[in-house]
Amino acid sequence: MKAHPPLPVSIIMAGTTLSRWTLSYFATAFVFLLLAEALMTFGVGYPAHPLRAPQTLFLVHCITLGWLSLLMCGALFQFVPVLVAKPIYSNSLPLLALVLILAGLLALLAGFLQLAGVLPFIRHCFLAAAVLLGSGFLLVLWILGCTLARARPLNLPACFVVVGLCSVAATVTFGSIFMLGFGGYANMPLLAELHARGVPLHVIAGLGGWLTFTAMGVSHRLLAMFMLSPELDGAPTRWTLYLGALSMVILIGAGIVATITGISLTPVLAVAGLAALFSLVLYAHDVLRLYRKRVRPVIELNSRMAGVALGHLAVAALLILICAASGVILQYSGALVFLVCFGWLSGLGLAKLYKITAFMTWLECYGPVLGKTPTPRVQDLVVEPRAGKWFWAYFGAVDIAVLCLFIGTPLIFRAAAAVMLIACVGIAVELVRIRRLVDVEAARRLPAGTRQPRLLFTLVAS
Amino acid sequence: MSENFIELDVRPILRSGGEPFDAILGAVKKLEPGQGLRLFATFKPIPLFRVLGSMGFDHEATELSGGDWQVEFTPAAPAAGGVSAEQTVAAPAGSKQHDAWPAPAREMDNRNLDPPEPMVRILAAIEEMPKGEVLAALLCREPVFLLPELAKRGHSWQGAFEPDGKTYRMLIRIGTVQPGAA
Repeated sequence: MKAHPPLPVSIIMAGTTLSRWTLSYFATAFVFLLLAEALMTFGVGYPAHPLRAPQTLFLVHCITLGWLSLLMCGALFQFVPVLVAKPIYSNSLPLLALVLILAGLLALLAGFLQLAGVLPFIRHCFLAAAVLLGSGFLLVLWILGCTLARARPLNLPACFVVVGLCSVAATVTFGSIFMLGFGGYANMPLLAELHARGVPLHVIAGLGGWLTFTAMGVSHRLLAMFMLSPELDGAPTRWTLYLGALSMVILIGAGIVATITGISLTPVLAVAGLAALFSLVLYAHDVLRLYRKRVRPVIELNSRMAGVALGHLAVAALLILICAASGVILQYSGALVFLVCFGWLSGLGLAKLYKITAFMTWLECYGPVLGKTPTPRVQDLVVEPRAGKWFWAYFGAVDIAVLCLFIGTPLIFRAAAAVMLIACVGIAVELVRIRRLVDVEAARRLPAGTRQPRLLFTLVAS
Repeated sequence: MSENFIELDVRPILRSGGEPFDAILGAVKKLEPGQGLRLFATFKPIPLFRVLGSMGFDHEATELSGGDWQVEFTPAAPAAGGVSAEQTVAAPAGSKQHDAWPAPAREMDNRNLDPPEPMVRILAAIEEMPKGEVLAALLCREPVFLLPELAKRGHSWQGAFEPDGKTYRMLIRIGTVQPGAA
């Protein structure tokens, strides 16, 4: 037989597998989403309470830390190894990180309840929250950082994640300073100054740098993968990265300097915002290209709903620009943050969660027997028309809620929040059905050599 | 054995995202009889061991600080006349790593399938193929979930993007490693 010339291979990968604790992150995150929507339905937090009231802080941290950050961490533990084609640094440490973050979050929420007068005074509650949350996120950064460090030089989507991770480090640092302030520990003038004036930096670094920018990088690759579009790594994508990173450097670097020297934050926010806006315009250009150049004519529910979420991001960017230009951004900041959190971040999160859960479940259950026996397809695990109704109800309710916040009709807002809650319970039921393989034909559900996946974590036989 | 080495540092090429294979082959072709190649890379270049092994070179890899690697390729048979790159010398018996791979018995184009269909088709195809045969497949992405599955089932593989960066070509040789070894 003729010898075949070997390939000019430069890398043989150890291969990536499933992340063991990602589903535990997803499940915990989902509990906080439902809790937050229930609180809004019952009139807890903004708009019933002022923006900086403890009740609002309680609600906001259920959404940003409990739901969005845990969702993102879980997704990154699965996604970063795939992105860089290297195994995760540790598949057991993410559980410890989850426990630390969860404990820290509960301490933080207890601290806010204490400020609201719901709970009696608990000593060192905020200190415990700062230590636990700080160490939890430090562990997340360590696990992902070590995974990324092994994969240098990094590809473009991985660079987006790096900027996101730097932003979460900044967000958590700001947050810890605030927590020490709430607890009465931060008496140094510099820290007190940051506590008094640094809240916009904390909010923008968290929602913009950590959640939005990371979601942009991740969605780039996921959209290309699930719609069979060409991977984009041209000049627009590189400039999306550079401008986004620049805007975070300006926000955090110049923001800290302005805060502690007492200079106005407005010019810093304006310049950082301009860089971020250009980054978003280039990202929109890339996303439109991904949808237009796709090989698959019919796209799945997750990519359709991601499109709706991306539309909300565009509207949010436009509204922020209009409100900033007309000087009413502070007045409408609650509505704008709500739109970013629920229209864009949660919308994209739910859409991708639907696909990732099905894909991971399919791989866990049927991977070991593929080729050896007939197995269901990934699409056999889901019933898209049924799930689609929940997604449309969710987005419809979010839009009504945003409108209510702009025009100031809190009662209709609560009704819309109730619809969001019902829609998310519907989506949660779909996710559990996927995990339990309920929608797979009974005869083909568990062929010989397979076993029912666990609900809350992934077990992969090695 | 031989202190006589040509040095080649491909780290700058790798860091700029380039493909150093041509530079390496060029250096190998310039080797005098009995001379070895000392290569510096940003990772352990396992596929090269096989490629240069099939040309009659032994290797010794050492990790340097910062995650870089130094690999010394020395001619395995410093017999009369030495070894040149053009000469393909059979690897020592029992050294499976050094075997040249046979021509593919099956070819598959999976470029227009969305995940996980390429993986499903490849795993189905290799179940039907006898031990030692090679399957060649074209994909549009690195099949990151396929690789652990191949390792579990005892198949070996090589894969790389074509120079256009769009087509991933992989070769899978059936049942030639201890299952679960990789």
